[in-house]
Amino acid sequence: MSERCFSVLGLFDSAQALVAAIPIVRRGTGALLEAYTPYPVRGIEKALGRRKSPIAGMVMVTGILGALGGLGLELWTSAADYPLVTAGKPPGAWQAFVPIMFEVTVLFAAFTAGLGMLALLNRLPMFRHPMLRSQSMPLITRDRFALAVEAEGQPLDVEKTASLLRAAGASAVEVVGMPAPPGPVSPNAVLTAFAALAMSCAAAGYLTYWAVKLFPVFPPMVHMLDQPRLDPQRASAFFTDGFGMRLPVAGTVARGHLPSLIETPDEAAVLSSPLPRTAAVLQAGREGYRTYCAPCHGVLGDGKPTLTAAYGAKPANLTSQAIRDFPDGRIYHVIAAGRNAMPGYSWELNQDQRWAVVDYVRALQRSQSAMDSDVPEGVK
Amino acid sequence: MNSDAISLPEILRTPAVIEGSISPGGVDDQVLSHVSRKPPAAWFAALAITSGAMLLGFALIGYTVYEGIGVWGNNIPVAWAFDIINFVFWVGIGHAGTLISAILLLFRARWRNAISRFAEAMTIFAVMCALIFPLIHVGRPWLMYFLFPYPNQRGIWPNFRSPLVWDVFAVSTYFGVSLLFWYLGLVPDLASMRDRATGRIRKAVYSLLSVGWRGSSSHWLHYEKAYTIIAGLATGLVLSVHSVVSFDFAVSLVPGWHMTIFPPYFVCGAIFAGFAMVVMVLVIARRLMGLENLITSYHLDVMNRVILACSCLMGYAYLMEGFTAWYSMNEPIHHTFWQYVFGTYWWAGWLTIACNILLPQLLWSRRLRRKYSVMILVAIGVTVGMWFERFVIIVGSLHQDFLPSAWRIYRPTLVDGGILLGSFGLFFTLVLLFARVLPVIAATEMKAVIPGAQPADTGGAHE
Amino acid sequence: MNGNRTSSVLAVGAFAGLLGMVASLFVFGRERFWINWILWFLFVLTTGLGCFFIVALEHLVGARWSVPLRRVPERLASLVLLMAPATLLALLSLPHLYSWTRPESLANPLIAGKAVWLNIPFFAVRAVICVALWLVAYRILVSGSFRQDLAKDPRFTVRARRFAPVFMVIFALTITVLAFDWISSLEPAWYSDIFGVYLFAGSFLAGLAATTLALLHMKSRGRLQQVGPDHLYNLGGFLFAFTVFWSYIAFAQYMLMWYANLPEEVVWYQERLQGMWGPLVLVLALFHFIVPFFILVPRNAKSDPNRLRVVSIVMLLSHWLDLYWMIFPALGVGPLLGWPELAFALAFGCAGLLWLRRAMTRGADMPVGDPFLQEGLAFRL
Repeated sequence: MSERCFSVLGLFDSAQALVAAIPIVRRGTGALLEAYTPYPVRGIEKALGRRKSPIAGMVMVTGILGALGGLGLELWTSAADYPLVTAGKPPGAWQAFVPIMFEVTVLFAAFTAGLGMLALLNRLPMFRHPMLRSQSMPLITRDRFALAVEAEGQPLDVEKTASLLRAAGASAVEVVGMPAPPGPVSPNAVLTAFAALAMSCAAAGYLTYWAVKLFPVFPPMVHMLDQPRLDPQRASAFFTDGFGMRLPVAGTVARGHLPSLIETPDEAAVLSSPLPRTAAVLQAGREGYRTYCAPCHGVLGDGKPTLTAAYGAKPANLTSQAIRDFPDGRIYHVIAAGRNAMPGYSWELNQDQRWAVVDYVRALQRSQSAMDSDVPEGVK
Repeated sequence: MNSDAISLPEILRTPAVIEGSISPGGVDDQVLSHVSRKPPAAWFAALAITSGAMLLGFALIGYTVYEGIGVWGNNIPVAWAFDIINFVFWVGIGHAGTLISAILLLFRARWRNAISRFAEAMTIFAVMCALIFPLIHVGRPWLMYFLFPYPNQRGIWPNFRSPLVWDVFAVSTYFGVSLLFWYLGLVPDLASMRDRATGRIRKAVYSLLSVGWRGSSSHWLHYEKAYTIIAGLATGLVLSVHSVVSFDFAVSLVPGWHMTIFPPYFVCGAIFAGFAMVVMVLVIARRLMGLENLITSYHLDVMNRVILACSCLMGYAYLMEGFTAWYSMNEPIHHTFWQYVFGTYWWAGWLTIACNILLPQLLWSRRLRRKYSVMILVAIGVTVGMWFERFVIIVGSLHQDFLPSAWRIYRPTLVDGGILLGSFGLFFTLVLLFARVLPVIAATEMKAVIPGAQPADTGGAHE
Repeated sequence: MNGNRTSSVLAVGAFAGLLGMVASLFVFGRERFWINWILWFLFVLTTGLGCFFIVALEHLVGARWSVPLRRVPERLASLVLLMAPATLLALLSLPHLYSWTRPESLANPLIAGKAVWLNIPFFAVRAVICVALWLVAYRILVSGSFRQDLAKDPRFTVRARRFAPVFMVIFALTITVLAFDWISSLEPAWYSDIFGVYLFAGSFLAGLAATTLALLHMKSRGRLQQVGPDHLYNLGGFLFAFTVFWSYIAFAQYMLMWYANLPEEVVWYQERLQGMWGPLVLVLALFHFIVPFFILVPRNAKSDPNRLRVVSIVMLLSHWLDLYWMIFPALGVGPLLGWPELAFALAFGCAGLLWLRRAMTRGADMPVGDPFLQEGLAFRL
């Protein structure tokens, strides 16, 4: 009599008996056979005519992908996206990339082997397989061996199969029933499940955002930011006036601004420029003049700038005979200490810059009093 | 068989891998039943002690994270001290498990089956202890994610040329692969436990964990292949992970650190320390759990011989280091090696040599190898010796390197010691919990090596 | 008989090579002669030592599966005997090749400091002690095994097991001395403490390759038929694993020296990567690592005689290339490959093969006196 069952199972008491039974049962039925053992038994795959496992090929492919991927990640980040020279080595030097490449290869290969075996090849987890609810399963995982003739959709002749198994040496036979069909899941239930999932994801995201945002402002995360040191604008109990920021001590000299011992214009008159009159110095002088002097004295040094209209001041005409007669040192003193309404520029220009400006002023004076004899031959 | 004709001297006879006879069902009863039985009072007492130490360690770690690394003894130039010593120590201890479960699988050494589960579990727990230290020694552990290469607004990537980043990849790969390997080995045993389980909750948990394993031949076909492949890959990890850890030191210019022998020397030291820990734990576990017929004196004998062999290899490594240090004619290296044995920490140098090279020589004697007291003494000695070896290497080299103006003595603080103690507490707590919750012997693998388990079993010649 | 013809051809080849060697001494000078001598005696010696190590390793771990084929590496280990006089003769090369023998080298403080180790008398004493230890070990482990064929006494196995750890100590120290003295001191300022391990890795691989090749050769001649694919698989597995091990050691040494970039260490690699040596290193990496690795990765490759034969030949050639690449740059010129090199190859190669042909007739093909022979034959994966 045929029944709808999943398989007919024969139990054997030893691995030897099982392996011996397989050819007998194979001859007696064309249905699919599956063996169940508590541990891997040598020779079963051959007896059942199974193909080799494709795992090795899968692992090789993902291993190579891992190697290339790991190396690619390292090369791209370290040599292409943000090349950095560390220890004087070229950014793309492969030698330092080998260890991580190896580890990533092993990682990819191992997880392909493990998870690929479980999920892809063995289709595990699977909790609804009929064998799991059979009475033989506990016996199998303990110490018995089973050979199952599977129905695969076509009805099996249970009596015939059972006697075939007994003839092959089975000490017991079990009929494994079909799995109970899963109850229909209502659309409402599915929708509710999805909604709940979506809402919990949103909530989790929101909470994570706030946690990550707030986490760094709690101690001890904040300890490195919040250090007991003097930051700008901080008060200090150490000083009597309570200010953390202090002025420099009296007598402090800024770099490039050695104190000048020259007090009066007459004392300064004897000084001369320590710089050679090169084009570079004159360029520097032009920079300094145009930045600090031209707004009042004009680009040509003639006292006709753009600003006086707004300020009502009357700056000197540097190209006038009076100033042309000034010695270099006198001009230097005016730049440094100021004269009449003009402030001193010793904070803005250091000594060398002042002398460069002096040289430039001389050049301006010369340029505004050019003569015919200055024009070179052949250009006239 | 040939051996009948000649009476073999005792030294040549193979001791049985399993003492006495046992049936597959008997293995299940013996090994899997521990999980459902109430543990003895000694277990609770031990757990109390180890979890106390562990909680102390965690509290001190919390204190360190709150106050900063200043509560440790680290200074300049000894910027690495207990933190890295402990890290290297624990990662090293993990290697024995992988060697036993992976490398011996490839050698088809049958005796491995009884101890591989325990050893692998110890690997995972040791790596967990190890991973704590890089996490907490950076000062701002909450920023550890800086080390991972994801697109970020800082605009900069981790420095893949640095051995410290290699460590991140190597140790996490090691942890992941070991966990995967251990779990895959557990699946058939979890299936057995699912089928033996009586309570509904237990059955549901074991069903979930065993992912519906049925033991069908197609399952075993893919399983065996995957397991062997992962074993081969894990073998590569045994060599590479501790080599990458040694690169932390060897790529530098610090005298005493830049020795090319560091990679294989560290791997050998790791196997050495790992086997000592395995022996220490198994000697006790097999007695208390009544597993002496499965974890036999043969297993202990072989493991002790491995410890002895590693000790000799370490002796070779120390000899090579000392000789090459002299041969290099490099004054800072000469100074450093002199310091190792005659400097501030001379006692650590001699302790290392005594515990690692001299003490294990006791194991040459077969008589001494079989005495539990000697085994445990050597195991503890090796554990201590290997910890101090890293101390000598790290603190010994750092405290007096190139610039005499930067020389400084290192003194550990109580927090350092407490965290070390806490790591031991964590390790042994996990071991105790493991023994209670999961089968400590790979029952399925044991069933496969009982005589008569395989058809036409010739009891083939493996070692 | 075909066997006699092969022997005569080999003898003629050896003699021709010898003539070529002597001629090269006069045409090209002492340096080239002696550097070839060093290369070749080290190549044959390390191969023999590798086979010797295999024998001792099997005794050390008490392996049963390898008992049937243990006679092969035992016979190959006799190459150590053949190279014993070659080692002692190589001492004559010291003043010509090794700069530390010259008094002007003592001006360099790095060399002067080492003079207590690097001086001709102590060097010679070390070489003599190494050779003596190998001869003693040979007598105990290998000659004893041949004697066991007749006596069928298990006491030899006990003695071998007890001696194996001692041999390991001897082997570790002597191969380190070989590496440091003969190869590393060609450039006496350079040092690397992994060098002994490096030479060990190469020698073990060469020994495995030679053993596999000899085993497959014997099987193709109808001998050792009982050694089956399961035994070959284990040999193939060892070849595969130690290919990876050698590559790991080679890379570790290179990468560490590259990374720290210390002048006294890096100069050794610089010399060996410049000019035509660079492409040679790529060839070495290709044939010592990549090719054998990918050939042996598939499971069935490890028991396939054809692939094993290819890999073994490639491995032996690579070991030679490895030694060539380490030793020849000491001359300071690009890779030299002329008729002197060919003459040495002919002389040492044919002499070695002649010696091995004789060795292959000594004793039984399997250690018939070993108590575990049957178990070994019955080994299945």
